[in-house]
Amino acid sequence: MSDLMRTRRNFLALGGMGMLLAGCGRGAIQGNIENTLYTLSDPLNRTFEQLIFSPTKLAQEFRANEVNPKSLLINTAEDNTPTVNLDQYRLTVKGLVNNPLNLSLRDIRALPYKSTTIRHICVEGWDAITQWGGVPLVEVLKKAQPTSEARYVFFRSADGFVNDQGQRSGYYETWDMASCVHPQTLLAYEKNKKPLPIENGAPIRLASPIKLGYKQIKWVTEIILVATIPTQAGYWVDLGYEWYGGV
Amino acid sequence: MTTAKVNGVAKRPSGFQQALAAKIFHWVNIISVFAMMGSGLQIYNANPVFGGRAGLHFPSELLLGGWLGGARHWHFFFMWFFGLNLLWYGIYIFFTKRWKNRYVGSNDIKAIRESSNAKRRNYAFHRIVYTSMIPILLLALLTGLGMFKPVQFDWILGIFGSWEALRIMHFISVPIFLVLTTLHSLMALKVGEWKLVRSMFT
Repeated sequence: MSDLMRTRRNFLALGGMGMLLAGCGRGAIQGNIENTLYTLSDPLNRTFEQLIFSPTKLAQEFRANEVNPKSLLINTAEDNTPTVNLDQYRLTVKGLVNNPLNLSLRDIRALPYKSTTIRHICVEGWDAITQWGGVPLVEVLKKAQPTSEARYVFFRSADGFVNDQGQRSGYYETWDMASCVHPQTLLAYEKNKKPLPIENGAPIRLASPIKLGYKQIKWVTEIILVATIPTQAGYWVDLGYEWYGGV
Repeated sequence: MTTAKVNGVAKRPSGFQQALAAKIFHWVNIISVFAMMGSGLQIYNANPVFGGRAGLHFPSELLLGGWLGGARHWHFFFMWFFGLNLLWYGIYIFFTKRWKNRYVGSNDIKAIRESSNAKRRNYAFHRIVYTSMIPILLLALLTGLGMFKPVQFDWILGIFGSWEALRIMHFISVPIFLVLTTLHSLMALKVGEWKLVRSMFT
């Protein structure tokens, strides 16, 4: 369990490293242009995307024989698959909630089960029709009873890695509430009708057809409801990808 | 611009004059399309449509944005200029009734078949070329929207049948556009020499 613990200091160190990584391999001028274009267009893009997003519109569901298990590629930060002790695993839900949760795997499996067979889309351009099984995230949020101020959901994972200074940090993401309560957004523990493999995020990962792959955090350990998007909005987001990442 | 017009009129009574709207459309379109192509090829390189990660990658000289995330920022900045430019120009063409005689018609087809006048035939060929650019630009826009929002605009994915087909059609619009742009430029030179090309941009 101590592997899963991270301090605020390590989180800050990751932010610094993120900026360093985002800056390397590209010229300063190029970086400035790209930041300017992003700063100018992202508020518009984000507003437009949230405007056309329908929380009730379901993504296409596929038949079992349309699943192509080989097409789902593995992208893990720093190629490090974490070790998660299943007996000690707990999913905590806290922040702006009236009823904070501390769920074991058994508790999670006791919640309503849902299966979706959807198209997973990666920011790189590939797709993978995949079956996911688990509990709709909305069920967990309902149980936690969000307060009226809760507008975003921050996820933290056990996807740990060690940076140059030996500091350990992890993968994290922030979603808008509308995408979290979408009926096809799952906390999944099953992939293609089998228990979720560790490299795909076991024991629990986010799986949804309405966000790009980098938003679908694996090895989820903490869910924190917040009022605003935190400065550290997401692992890849802090490295320069757009925050909304919706499809 | 005023000077150019004055010069054009002063030097040649038959000098070409283009509507300001047509000039603005051409400028915005050429800049945004090339920005979309450069950043699009950079995005393509993250996972080539043909062959996946092991597929053929485009050389860095043709790319804009430096890396996948940067290229996406370019692409999703210029998409507004590219898309809205097509939209307002379409509305303009419609309400000014330019669509009636600015684009290829049966008289052009007839001229190509029957006319022995080389100038008339060239004119007709040119009208075919630039008219056919419109569906290609709309194809690029439609397939792009389909990949940008495959769930919200799932009807676009429905038209093309599969994600792979959508990606291929979006990609294919680039070489087709380049060929048509080259032909459009060459035909414009043939029909009206450099002063016709210049009249569209100044």
